[in-house]
Amino acid sequence: MKEKHITEILDNASIVNLSESDLSEVHAHVEDCVSCRGAYEAARLSAVVVRSRAQSMIEPSPFFHTRVMAAVREQQAVENVPAMLRLWGSAKALVSSMAVATATLAVLSFALPASPAAPAFDQTASAYSAESVLLGQTNDDQMSYEQVMSTIYDDDEAK
Amino acid sequence: MSDLTDDEQQWLEQQSTSVGNEERSIVNDLVVTDLADRLLSVLPPEDQQALLMIDGEDASIKEVAEATGWSESKVKVRAFRARRKLREAMEKLLKHKVGARGS
Repeated sequence: MKEKHITEILDNASIVNLSESDLSEVHAHVEDCVSCRGAYEAARLSAVVVRSRAQSMIEPSPFFHTRVMAAVREQQAVENVPAMLRLWGSAKALVSSMAVATATLAVLSFALPASPAAPAFDQTASAYSAESVLLGQTNDDQMSYEQVMSTIYDDDEAK
Repeated sequence: MSDLTDDEQQWLEQQSTSVGNEERSIVNDLVVTDLADRLLSVLPPEDQQALLMIDGEDASIKEVAEATGWSESKVKVRAFRARRKLREAMEKLLKHKVGARGS
């Protein structure tokens, strides 16, 4: 029997990942060493068990793939809606309320009659317009200075 | 650790006689999973994690170190210790199996 046992080689790496030289050393040793033969068999079975356990842990349920793909398709459908439509969807309420307000203002401006105070204001304004004052124009309704004086003196003479 | 069940004993015999047997079935998977859980229960959780990642999922020492935040030397030590404990536990089971068959 060879002096150096191979348990350290077996524990350094999984038996499926051992190098060719390590494997040949192990095989040569276990032919003669009974205790290492048992260790080798145990290491081989341990590697199978660990690998099987890891595979059973990472293999998802058969329905997992279907559910994930359905979720991906749903997400893609949402993203394919044009950007303008999505913008319209969020701004629809604001645009509608602005349109109603504009229409209401238009109706109030054009459809309702003007208030009665407006013509009186216009008459007053035209009677004392800046243009008539500057040009010395008088309104026909007003009496001239001579007319006023003659009216006063005519009244005095009549008395 | 408790004794092997009949199914586990049968699976171990199959594995011992047919090297590289890739045939898998649901029953076999369940037997192996149960056996693995019993064997891995002798290890601390961190050693289990290192062993399952390296030997089960073929992760490198560096990948395990990055995933766990451990140093690479700590990962190596944990994996080494886990393999040795698992091998020793398996050896005990195999000896028990041989003993049970002999009696």
